[in-house]
Amino acid sequence: MSIRNIVIGAMASAMSVAMAVPAMAQTEITWWHAMGGQLGETVNQLAEKFNASQSDYKITPIYKGSYEETMTAGIAAFRAGEQPNVIQIFDAGAATIIGAKGAVVPAQQLMSENGVPFDINDYISGVRYFYADKEGEMIGMPFNSSTPIMYYNEDALKKAGVTPPKTWEEFQSVTAPKLKEAGYVPLTQSHLPWIFTENFYSRHNLEFASLDNGYDSGTPVMMMNEDPIKGHFAAVKEWLDNGMFAWYGTGWADNQKPFNEGQAAMWLGSSGSFGGVKAAANFSFNATYLPYWESLTKEPYQTFIGGAALFAMSGKPADENKAVAEFFRFLTSPEIQYFWHKETGYVPITTAAYELAKKEGYYKETPQAEVGIRQLTERAGDWTRGYRLGFYVQIRDVMNREYGKILSGEKGVDEAFTTIEVESNKLLERFSKSMGN
Amino acid sequence: MIKSQFKSPLFPYLLLLPQLSIVVIFFYWPAAEAIRSSFYLEDPFGFSSTFVGLDNFRDMVSRSDYVATAEFTIIFSVIVTLFSLAIALLLAVTADRVLRGASTYKTLLMWVYAIAPPVAALIGIMMFDTLVGPIARFFQALGWNYQLGTNRFDTAFAMIVISIWKQVPVNFIFFLSGLQGIPKSVQEAAAIDCASSTRRFWTITFPLLAPTGFFLLIINITYSLFDTFGIIDVVLKGEPGNNPVTLVYKVFLDGFRGNDLGGSSAQSVILMILVLILTVFQFRLIERRVHYN
Amino acid sequence: MSSSDLQAPTGTTITAAGAAAVSKKPFAWRQIVDHVVLIAGSLFMLIPVLMAFMTSSHSDITVHTNGLQMTFGGHLAENYHEAMLVPGGFTKTVDGMRMLMNSFILGIGFSVGKIIISMLAAYAIVYFQFRFATLAFWAIFTTLLLPLEVRILPSYEIVQGMGLVNTYTGLIVPLIASATGTFFFRQFFKSVPNELIEAARIDGAGPVKFFIDILVPLSKTMIAAIFIIMFVFGWNQYLWPTIMTTDESFFTLVRGIKQILNVFIGSQIPEYGQAMALAIVAMVPPVLVVVIFQSWFVKGLVESDK
Repeated sequence: MSIRNIVIGAMASAMSVAMAVPAMAQTEITWWHAMGGQLGETVNQLAEKFNASQSDYKITPIYKGSYEETMTAGIAAFRAGEQPNVIQIFDAGAATIIGAKGAVVPAQQLMSENGVPFDINDYISGVRYFYADKEGEMIGMPFNSSTPIMYYNEDALKKAGVTPPKTWEEFQSVTAPKLKEAGYVPLTQSHLPWIFTENFYSRHNLEFASLDNGYDSGTPVMMMNEDPIKGHFAAVKEWLDNGMFAWYGTGWADNQKPFNEGQAAMWLGSSGSFGGVKAAANFSFNATYLPYWESLTKEPYQTFIGGAALFAMSGKPADENKAVAEFFRFLTSPEIQYFWHKETGYVPITTAAYELAKKEGYYKETPQAEVGIRQLTERAGDWTRGYRLGFYVQIRDVMNREYGKILSGEKGVDEAFTTIEVESNKLLERFSKSMGN
Repeated sequence: MIKSQFKSPLFPYLLLLPQLSIVVIFFYWPAAEAIRSSFYLEDPFGFSSTFVGLDNFRDMVSRSDYVATAEFTIIFSVIVTLFSLAIALLLAVTADRVLRGASTYKTLLMWVYAIAPPVAALIGIMMFDTLVGPIARFFQALGWNYQLGTNRFDTAFAMIVISIWKQVPVNFIFFLSGLQGIPKSVQEAAAIDCASSTRRFWTITFPLLAPTGFFLLIINITYSLFDTFGIIDVVLKGEPGNNPVTLVYKVFLDGFRGNDLGGSSAQSVILMILVLILTVFQFRLIERRVHYN
Repeated sequence: MSSSDLQAPTGTTITAAGAAAVSKKPFAWRQIVDHVVLIAGSLFMLIPVLMAFMTSSHSDITVHTNGLQMTFGGHLAENYHEAMLVPGGFTKTVDGMRMLMNSFILGIGFSVGKIIISMLAAYAIVYFQFRFATLAFWAIFTTLLLPLEVRILPSYEIVQGMGLVNTYTGLIVPLIASATGTFFFRQFFKSVPNELIEAARIDGAGPVKFFIDILVPLSKTMIAAIFIIMFVFGWNQYLWPTIMTTDESFFTLVRGIKQILNVFIGSQIPEYGQAMALAIVAMVPPVLVVVIFQSWFVKGLVESDK
């Protein structure tokens, strides 16, 4: 087996030498990502643009399946010493990759070591610290970032004689009853843990987990068995029972479909869903901010980002790290960020790119595209920069399961949240132990 | 029977080499690795690995979702096994009796064996689809608000029906072979002694089929535990949510989706023990089966 | 149990006729009930697949608004053309033909590899006296105890460590690790009359000559039977290909179901027609093999699982 590897390695290096000669020792790097379909094509375009922009480096993007599949493949590859230079890891996996000391080279360090200027204040405030460590050093480079916003069917709201609700109080006392009367499903949403949990906490600036939402070292505990979130879900269940809200299971698209087809008047989705809705909806629609409870906060706070970041994996030669740094420089340039923002609907991650988009008049044509980024730049609070929680994929699965039980009436709100609290904390403890704490 | 054998110092080893090397590399090594890592708590990237004794097992067993999964697995296996055996037995006994079209029926009842479980499930989720599925529409027309994927019970129902559908043919083939193995003389004697064919079935045929049935029982339990993975994976469409899963699927979820190596390995070891118990049971039955014959 | 009992379909008719001859007064209603039961059973097996096939001949809009179809529609060629020849999936680089080819590679590679390796091993175990024979026997047959599913994570890590992810070797060889084939050939070789080997010895034939000239020709039917079982088994693999292949150019049709499903969930109007077309294509080869070689298949299945 090892002989095989040596032979293959020798062949590969012989081939790369042979191929590299005419290209003047071009440094090649690989990038594993989880962007399928249309997004995958845009990723390929990004790589082509980078490769065409200079002749020293060449990046090859490789699609590795879903977020979970990409992370698992990356971990196994790392253990086998065959990791890619760059890997895309999603929000729920951030703690796993950042917690494993030595798996990645922090983006900030990589860039400054290779002479690429870096200032964390160039990044939009809602994006800046999500993939940073507790000292505020950026570990992962935010790549595809989105945030939950509310899409609404303009025709439906007009017919019902209402405006999009700013608060949940307004939704349940005015908007929803009127929409229901007008024959619509007033509201659907596509991701209960992300939209109704994580962003519920940030929108109201509530502590999500101890130890600074998990950023500090140690074993955090989750603040899930608390009145605000329980009150929210009690209200959601009531809306469901009164026909003011509908839920079609855990699948993203199953909940978006009724909105696209005009049965649901409002839908909470990702700011990155804009393109998809536009392609599918045959009615005029618009988007607005995620509502909040006025009883919990007079003015709302900024929301968390969702999506994924790019991580430079460790154990690579210096010239390849240099290439990654150059790729990050390219990626964060305003033009490329603007291109990515326009093509995909994900938010631009730097202020300069946001300014460029404004200057180009992009938001005049499509004001909906600005909702996400404006929401991310609303006022910050103590608990709004993000969360760093291990085994978070499983924790989200626990939430999904228990929320399903609340909504289907199998369990009461109190009982379900007690379960979530107990099981999440057990998982966090396990994770902490596995990290050697 | 004692075989005449060749004697050669090296040749047999050479013959065994391919099989043994594959078995060692792809069976013993991973199996040993699974057992080893069930006693360790390890971070996914492999930087730190701590021996924790039986902690992983204790953690697993104390988790309410693991207990719920085990309960569901038992219910699922019992229902799938019983129904697929019962339906197959009825069909086999009937197919063994008819004169006309016997071979056509046989073909029509066995061909589904060749369909892969996830392919069966893809067709299944279309049949049960809340929106377009004829079965779901039928239930909805009867007043049962059938919701695949949203309601835990409804999802379990679809999983079970698809699993039974996929398993009936195997059982049918074995039962029919078993029936055809019953000597003609026995059948003739039975026909003279028992006038009623129902009675003939219960007093003669059923006991003679019992060994086949016991053997199939094990096959079906193994099927429900392991081979239904593809069905469950397709029915869940990537998100478990509030839907039930089986123990094997949970090994996959915690290991591949959640990167909890120790926890997933501990679950693997629990399943290994379960399979060993089933196998010992199976060997006992095979011995008895030999006596019957 | 001798193998002659199991020969189908002729065996079926003979026994059925025998059974009928012994019933004194065959009531007509009894026969009608029997046929009703069998027809109901056949329909239970047939209708879902028939519906999938019919649906694969309709446009997505029709299915979306009217549900699954039971009649033949006008979009058959279009849907199968899309499914088989137009690159689809996530990367838009792989079409159904490629997946079909990969399925054949897996099905045939797995069955041929398994037959060769297990015949050799069974030959050694049955026909040779050597020191570690018992140990080798147990080392191989213990693998029957533990299905791949319970050692999936470490298996993946080991194969990944060998650099075999997204290769045909990594896809096929680890699946051969179980001993079903070896067990089957061992049983068969043990039933071969002793006189043959005695005669071969007298003729001065060595072990290689005996194997190739006598044992292999003798095993032809067995090889055919096990080939059919293993081909279907290999073709239908799901879990291992799912974790071993992330590069779509190595996807088999069955592995591709997950991708079909993703497209199915992700799109606004799911591509029902294409999804069903691929499901039909994924089942046709193994179903044909089983139906055409039915007697070998039944023999192989019933014998090998003993």
